[in-house]
Amino acid sequence: MTEPEDLEQRLARLSSATNQLRPSAGFSARVMLAIDHAPAPSFLETTWFSARRLLPVAAIAAAMAVVWAVQVDGTVDDELATSYASMELE
Amino acid sequence: MGNQADAEDVVQEAYVKAFRALTSGEFDRRSSTNTWLYRIVVNGAIDAKRSRQRRAEASDEQIDPGWDGAAFAEARLALSELDDWLQALPPEQRAALVLQSMEGLNNTEIAQVMGVSEGAVEQRLVRARAALRQKREQS
Repeated sequence: MTEPEDLEQRLARLSSATNQLRPSAGFSARVMLAIDHAPAPSFLETTWFSARRLLPVAAIAAAMAVVWAVQVDGTVDDELATSYASMELE
Repeated sequence: MGNQADAEDVVQEAYVKAFRALTSGEFDRRSSTNTWLYRIVVNGAIDAKRSRQRRAEASDEQIDPGWDGAAFAEARLALSELDDWLQALPPEQRAALVLQSMEGLNNTEIAQVMGVSEGAVEQRLVRARAALRQKREQS
């Protein structure tokens, strides 16, 4: 009497047996036909997905703009402080 | 899917989705093309399996295996045996087990394909094997 196969043996046997399966005749042609008949992506879809890729660049640009604005603000404050001080001296 | 005709429908649908995703720029290449294609096919198969089960429960229909019975008889018998054997498993556990044992993917790849953590994949595989062992002991 043969040993009943365990779970892993059965999975391995079925895996090797089903490896021989191939698509039926004409499958590739059906797929190509389905792709040909698939509606093309709309302009909005294409724009949205393309724009999504630019999001990290836009985020970095925004962060740099904030840093630049803070620096400029600090410089303006320093300049104003200097001019007020010189006015008081006069 | 346990049925070549349904499996071909799922793969065909996956090709169409992949084509649209490539032409619209939806595929952002954050995962490898292989993983991405597997994900489309697995999600399609899980959805198709669920809707097929709902249809079968609603109408009590016998599912036609859709085979011509000529070529690849042994392989198709094996596919039928696999389908019967894994029938009782929830679709996510079944998909994880098939990806590992039939497709040879490792847990990291399965996690990427199924969009879950490796821990969740491990849990699904353990549960699937436990359910199959329990089924065998009961029979």
